[in-house]
Amino acid sequence: MSSLLSSPLTWGDALVIFLWGVVLMLVVLGFVTYAIFFERKVIGWMQFRIGPNRVGPFGLLQSVADILKLLIKEDTIPRKADRLLFILAPALAFVPSFTVLAVIPYTQKLYFADLNVGLLYYVALSGISTLAIVLGGWASNNKYALLGGMRSAAQMISYEVPLVISVTGVVMLSGTLNLRGIVDSQSGGWFWDWNFIPQIVGFAVFVIAAVSELNRTPFDLPEAESELVAGYHVEYSGFRFAFFMLTEYVYVYAIAGLTTTLFLGGWHAPAPFLDFVPGIIWFALKFMFIVFFLFWLRATMPRIRVDQLMGLGWKVLLPLSLANIFITAACIELFQR
Amino acid sequence: MFDIEFNGEFAAFFVFAVLMIAGAVLMVSFTKVVHMVLSMAAVFLGAAGMFVLLEAEFLAFVQVLIYAGAVSILMIFGIMMTNHSDSRAETIKPLKETLAAVGAIALFGLLFYAIRDADFEGLDGGTPAQTTDNTLAIGQALFHNHVLPFELVSVLLTVAFIGAIALAKKEA
Repeated sequence: MSSLLSSPLTWGDALVIFLWGVVLMLVVLGFVTYAIFFERKVIGWMQFRIGPNRVGPFGLLQSVADILKLLIKEDTIPRKADRLLFILAPALAFVPSFTVLAVIPYTQKLYFADLNVGLLYYVALSGISTLAIVLGGWASNNKYALLGGMRSAAQMISYEVPLVISVTGVVMLSGTLNLRGIVDSQSGGWFWDWNFIPQIVGFAVFVIAAVSELNRTPFDLPEAESELVAGYHVEYSGFRFAFFMLTEYVYVYAIAGLTTTLFLGGWHAPAPFLDFVPGIIWFALKFMFIVFFLFWLRATMPRIRVDQLMGLGWKVLLPLSLANIFITAACIELFQR
Repeated sequence: MFDIEFNGEFAAFFVFAVLMIAGAVLMVSFTKVVHMVLSMAAVFLGAAGMFVLLEAEFLAFVQVLIYAGAVSILMIFGIMMTNHSDSRAETIKPLKETLAAVGAIALFGLLFYAIRDADFEGLDGGTPAQTTDNTLAIGQALFHNHVLPFELVSVLLTVAFIGAIALAKKEA
């Protein structure tokens, strides 16, 4: 991958890069399909239900059937909606969600972009999806959609601040914003060399803020179905609704990848004697653990109230993450000099 | 004066320039506030693209990070504080329009002259080194060479922040 990215761009290389993009797209689509299936299965088991088990062996084709249903559904646009923005919003939400995946490194060799400001790139582009959600909510010309969009914007802005500040500690420890550099700085053989132990406060703040950025339970207020029918995508159906759902699950993929690279040592093995297992396996295991953790959280936690949400973001997470930076800086000054 | 080499960089520059100019023109000519804010977002994204072309990646993504959030907030304020049920056409005032045009052209002339005339070689440190790690360079410039102005700006921001809270408390 590195030779391909550093050599001058020829038509053949461009084709190969394009094909890699297609491969990533297919992997992500496969992930989304089976993430939805396992989410339903896992939550079903946690709630003493069976979960989907009718379509295909063990219900494995349930998500495929659901997606097929979504794609052949009638596409409705409300007559009083802002037609252009209504059509634009799902695409504008999806494009950044897929674009951010470019900077996530899977192994030492397998990565798509070696950007020196990779972390910043991720955080910056994921903010554009918020814009699309507000836009979709507004363009629908529906009060529930608008309320959902407003909540989403307020929540995303409030939690983006602790999210960015909490990873600053990691950046200070590794001295780079490049995600590959951050993983490299966590090498050392044992799992206590990974960032999640030295940065335990940052890690906790990051996980909470990340779940909130994903709009997942317990922070799924923008689509709180008991209050807002379905939130910002009430008026969307068929293909466009599928795009919003796809965006959400692609962000699950992205956040799981980002947490793995930032805090859980990326492709590194947890102990030196386990080094013979290829890095991609370790990456996949950590990645799947985080995805499972998100499902687990959803099955466990109730939704929190709007006022509690803002209080938690501004009064707890922000001071904690600021204190984390301060303490990290002090420790670097005292012990690593 | 204008010796242009037609390569990928020029094509990208052209695309971003068109995006920015189109966004700016549409921003002025649209009537609905959400459309205006969205075209402004296009201008910001175009500017970020320009920064990438100039190899200022840090600046580019900070631009996207700050302005994407700012645009969403602006959009919310736009939705909440404006009456968007009726969009009546504004009456055109010829004198005002002429004055605005003169002012805009004067500003353009001033900026154009200043930019053409600027001597970047004479700055302290000369031309910024073309390193791959301009984040580090920015950090060192901010926290070593210009730490006092930086701190003054942060004090100014804090004062503005506290002032805003004080004003809001008085009104409530």
